[in-house]
Amino acid sequence: MHLKDDPFLNVSNSISNSYIEDWQALNKKIIGYYCTYIPEELLHAAGILPYRIRATGNKDTELADTYMVRFTCSFVRSTLDLALKGAYNFMDGFLICNSCDHSRRMFEIFDLKVFNKEKINKKINSFYLSIPHIITEEGFNWYLKEIEELREKLEVTYNCEITDDVLNHSLDIYNQNRDLLKKLHELQIQEFPKITGTEALQISMANASVPKEIANEELKRILNDLELKEGMDVSSKKRIINVGSVVDNIDFIQLIENSGTFVASDFICFGTRNFHDTIDFDYSKEPLKNLTKRLYYRISCPRMMDDHENRLKFLKEEIKNANIDGVILQRINNCDLHGCDNMLFTHELKELDIPVLNIDRESYQADTTRLQTRIEAFIEMIR
Amino acid sequence: MLSENQMENRIIPYKMLLKALSSTQELVERILPENGIPSLRIGLKYIKSVLENTIQKAREGLPIIGYHFALPAEYLSCFDCVPICIEGTSYFLATLLLGGVENYYDLIGNWGHPFHTCTSQKGTMGMTLEDLFRFDAIITPSAPCDSTCGSYGYFKYAKKFPTVIADTPFIHEKKSQIYYADEIKRSLIDIGKIINQEPDFEKLRYHVEIENQVLHKKTEIFELIKSTPSPIENMFNPVSAAATIFISGTPENLSFYDEMLNITKKRYKEKSHHGGEEHIRTIWPYMLTFFDISFCEWLDRELGLSILMDIFNYNFFEPINTKSDLNELFLGMSKKAMGFPMVKQSTDFYYPIIDDCIQMAQDYDVDCFIYTQSLACKQFGSIPTILREALKDELGIPMLIIEFDVGDARMTSIKKFKEKINLFVQTLL
Ligand code: SF4
Ligand code: SF4
Repeated sequence: MHLKDDPFLNVSNSISNSYIEDWQALNKKIIGYYCTYIPEELLHAAGILPYRIRATGNKDTELADTYMVRFTCSFVRSTLDLALKGAYNFMDGFLICNSCDHSRRMFEIFDLKVFNKEKINKKINSFYLSIPHIITEEGFNWYLKEIEELREKLEVTYNCEITDDVLNHSLDIYNQNRDLLKKLHELQIQEFPKITGTEALQISMANASVPKEIANEELKRILNDLELKEGMDVSSKKRIINVGSVVDNIDFIQLIENSGTFVASDFICFGTRNFHDTIDFDYSKEPLKNLTKRLYYRISCPRMMDDHENRLKFLKEEIKNANIDGVILQRINNCDLHGCDNMLFTHELKELDIPVLNIDRESYQADTTRLQTRIEAFIEMIR
Repeated sequence: MLSENQMENRIIPYKMLLKALSSTQELVERILPENGIPSLRIGLKYIKSVLENTIQKAREGLPIIGYHFALPAEYLSCFDCVPICIEGTSYFLATLLLGGVENYYDLIGNWGHPFHTCTSQKGTMGMTLEDLFRFDAIITPSAPCDSTCGSYGYFKYAKKFPTVIADTPFIHEKKSQIYYADEIKRSLIDIGKIINQEPDFEKLRYHVEIENQVLHKKTEIFELIKSTPSPIENMFNPVSAAATIFISGTPENLSFYDEMLNITKKRYKEKSHHGGEEHIRTIWPYMLTFFDISFCEWLDRELGLSILMDIFNYNFFEPINTKSDLNELFLGMSKKAMGFPMVKQSTDFYYPIIDDCIQMAQDYDVDCFIYTQSLACKQFGSIPTILREALKDELGIPMLIIEFDVGDARMTSIKKFKEKINLFVQTLL
């Protein structure tokens, strides 16, 4: 069986899945979120399943377009569209932060238009986190305070106690998860890779849609299976790193990989940004502080205004580690944050003589021919 | 050692601005009757005076500090410096130059900047590509938008202008005001280190106090605007926006509002209205166009439509206690900055915006709302429909939504813009 057909990877193809159904059968809660800056571990410690909202497979945004103008990100609009169609009715709450202007406004829209009382017959709790836009000591203290307040709110709302011990246990589970994802990533970036870029994305999406304990078991199983597998010969293909806006649709990566490339790595939030962190600290003490540290000081996304140099450093290292031939910088139309960061990368990488393709796209890419032609031309150029 | 001319040429766009402003002023003085569009005449006079002063300071070699419009300009008065508004430059030049500043948008666009970011920054970014500005330092809040967060990266990392960021919390709570007060103070101190100056907080108090007085006059003006017919012309809105951005904290700003208040009072007493009969009273929860402000007159004269309030003028704050200790002073400054146009709306949920709009609709006896949705302003991108529904449900007031770009004439031509308003107004009359 190909890895891409693995039942765990298939979880990424749909919005809901059987693990969610099992979870809810036990009367347990689910909270949806958009961003890698939210403290998933805290939700886990409260006995809640954090579910990363995505729009996989949604092809139109007709319903959402009523509430969001066309100048907004089609990924967010697409998730709203699904929400308005009821696809997220399994959620018991949502946690929004000020990641970007588009997703932040989902707080009010979800509140007013998706989970209003007429439409859904249960109480939906909403939580909001304000996250600094720069990395400073003051910013850290602010973020920590926000997370402390969230802990209290979760305890009150869900009538639970999030003790340091419980939280440490959750940090452990999530650390294991990140380690497993990192191991899988190693198998992707190596000379004879064992997983493709498409499969890596599927794994990442599935991983964000099920309870972490289950995800960890599945990831271990996959790693064991892969150990017995031969690596792929991708020497005839150009090795690509995919950088930029959220990708929650395997079609996009498949399109790149079908154009004579191998997607050896990424710098996206369903990918390295989610599990890569270079901070080493003792998890046993002050778990809330450690949780905040990891979230705040890990490799950032362009919402952090003063950290571009570190992002460039990461990118350069990853280009080296994964032996990259060319960089695809992509942004979903109207995504100012990735658009601007990509602009800087374009110039910086060109100065280093690293081939770069800068593209804009939509969350659901209907117009694939144009994109494929551009990617193929780019590959030709690298040759 | 640079010559005076070279010193001045560190801020070429301000020289362009002064030139354009002077010719506009000359035209206004020559063509308009004594009492025609006073806000334009008075505004141009005072803004010109401040610009001349700014250019003089550049000539003297003072450090050039670029600031984001969302940081009240008077906060830089603690330095001997040349304050340059990044966003104001793009938009004021878009307004005054005959050909607009589209060529600068294109320059930065060709450099790779995404088209959907804010033209208020794009214009100045394009200008710096041509080295028309030589900033010694830049200061910006992290609010109000993604465009700000993204575009300032260009100044910091591509142009390598030392850039100081005051982190703005995206939630309106007491703790945010305290945090932001510290951020503003820290940022000013950091700027001081870059330009080798100790911030003079006593001087700052003086200029903050001027704005307290401006607030007083502005509040009075907006109280009078509630009356029917509106005692003030539509042109007051963009001119007042320009005053807020360019000359706040200066005695000229106080004089501008003082003169405008006198005119408003006089007209209020006489029940006189600019440009003919008032037929329709509107609120614009977002901005007017800056690429062609002539439509303000067109609305007054052709349609009898008054703009009573827009986002730039919705800028009221608690007077800042300038006699207190520094902590209190900065707390007041923080509250003001968090309530500044666009920062207020973007750092909070939009429930209060909707409540405010409903309240304003009642206070100003409004017939309809006109919501201009700008391509760049994503944080406003999910508000229009909800606001339209709220206004309709609560007050039965309709709202027109027009998509445009505040500073780029090519996106929505002014002809189309007027056509849409005209058609909408016909349905109301
Ligand atoms: S792709 Fe950009 S605009 Fe869309 S959700 Fe992500 S950061 Fe926001
Ligand atoms: S107009 Fe909108 S997009 Fe432009 S700077 Fe202001 S808030 Fe940002």
